[in-house]
Amino acid sequence: MAAMPALEIEPRGRTLEEEVVELFDSFREPLLRYLASFGLPLADGEEIVQEVFLSLFQHLRRGGGRTNLRGWLFRVAHNLGLKRRSRTPRGSNALWKWMPDPAPGPEEQFFTGETERRVQAVLRALPEQDRRCLTLRAEGLRYREIAETLAMSLGAVSLSLARSLARIARAAGR
Amino acid sequence: MREPDVHLSDRELVLAADGELSTSRERHLAACGTCRARLRDLERAVADFAGVHRGTLDPLLPRPDAPRARLRARLAEAASGKPIGRQFWFRPWHAAAAGALALILTVGVLSLYQWRWSRANGLVDVPSPRLTPGAARKVDREELCNSALPKNQVVPADLRRRVFQAYGMANADPRAYEVDYLITPALGGDDDIRNLWPQPYVSTVWNARVKDALEDRLRDMVCRGQLDLAEAQRDISTDWIAAYKKYFQTNVPAR
Repeated sequence: MAAMPALEIEPRGRTLEEEVVELFDSFREPLLRYLASFGLPLADGEEIVQEVFLSLFQHLRRGGGRTNLRGWLFRVAHNLGLKRRSRTPRGSNALWKWMPDPAPGPEEQFFTGETERRVQAVLRALPEQDRRCLTLRAEGLRYREIAETLAMSLGAVSLSLARSLARIARAAGR
Repeated sequence: MREPDVHLSDRELVLAADGELSTSRERHLAACGTCRARLRDLERAVADFAGVHRGTLDPLLPRPDAPRARLRARLAEAASGKPIGRQFWFRPWHAAAAGALALILTVGVLSLYQWRWSRANGLVDVPSPRLTPGAARKVDREELCNSALPKNQVVPADLRRRVFQAYGMANADPRAYEVDYLITPALGGDDDIRNLWPQPYVSTVWNARVKDALEDRLRDMVCRGQLDLAEAQRDISTDWIAAYKKYFQTNVPAR
């Protein structure tokens, strides 16, 4: 899956608020999906996304750089996610509920194929950092952006991905 | 530099996926079926994961309308320079924070009420006549004007504490107030709790520094023979603000 080119926006005669809302529409779901890997309740994920875009607004208003805003958004979301998680006890509201149980009920099997369920089981067993690397890649970040977001070396990102992808490939029967 | 016939490392493989491989390694990839298969597997595995990831989570995500509207409102607040509101009422620690905030507000409102009450009763800008009626030593004008008294003597810490307690301000920040002599020692004022009160430095128009100016003016007039000492003591202890207006011929203190 190819990564998207680095996002760079230019002001086009819109207000800054409009620009930020437009980016919110494009990145709310990718950021929420990424925040799923932090084991937070969905409501926390939504709140973090709000904070991310308010921070973006302040960043741009202060004349901050517009180069690779996608990487910027994920990096801020990552930091806020870690911070929130340190204050949120793991419990019944944890985001694990986002991910279906490895042994789903009949209604889940209705729309979940055998391969998908095996892949899900692998994903649930992955170390957190490996799952984040994968999630960021699945959301279209380039490997260098992943390394920057997670404060890892490119070598560590590649090792993490190679490890995870080998497991997924086995689970998918390849 | 790697030999062209050495297979790509894992790191080079991810660089290849982003099109960042060096020219010589690109040549190897183009010629090597094994490396191309590894790259294809890597990309398929990421695609598999992305499919499962999105297929699992997307149905759970609420529609964006309400979060978007909320963001718009918060951006409008931020753009107008108002503090950005947070809406965290539904979780325990947020409830605790809200409770603490409510407590702070309650204390704040009570403090404000007390402050207003105090103003109404003359406890801030002017001292309470009951608590601080003023007290003077027996001293005549010549003795007073020939002595090198400090304008305001340092009030002992224990006496300061008692003054704050008497005014119900035991928890006030002492740096914000001067425990002031109603009748300054430079005009014969006594070192007595009945002659002391906590006067704010800056929080009101009629503050400690304004009163200091009045004290200087009165002593100067007394020592020049322009004003009777007893009258100066009476004027400053009865209503020092009225005395300021009288002796400076103004309704507004000089800044």
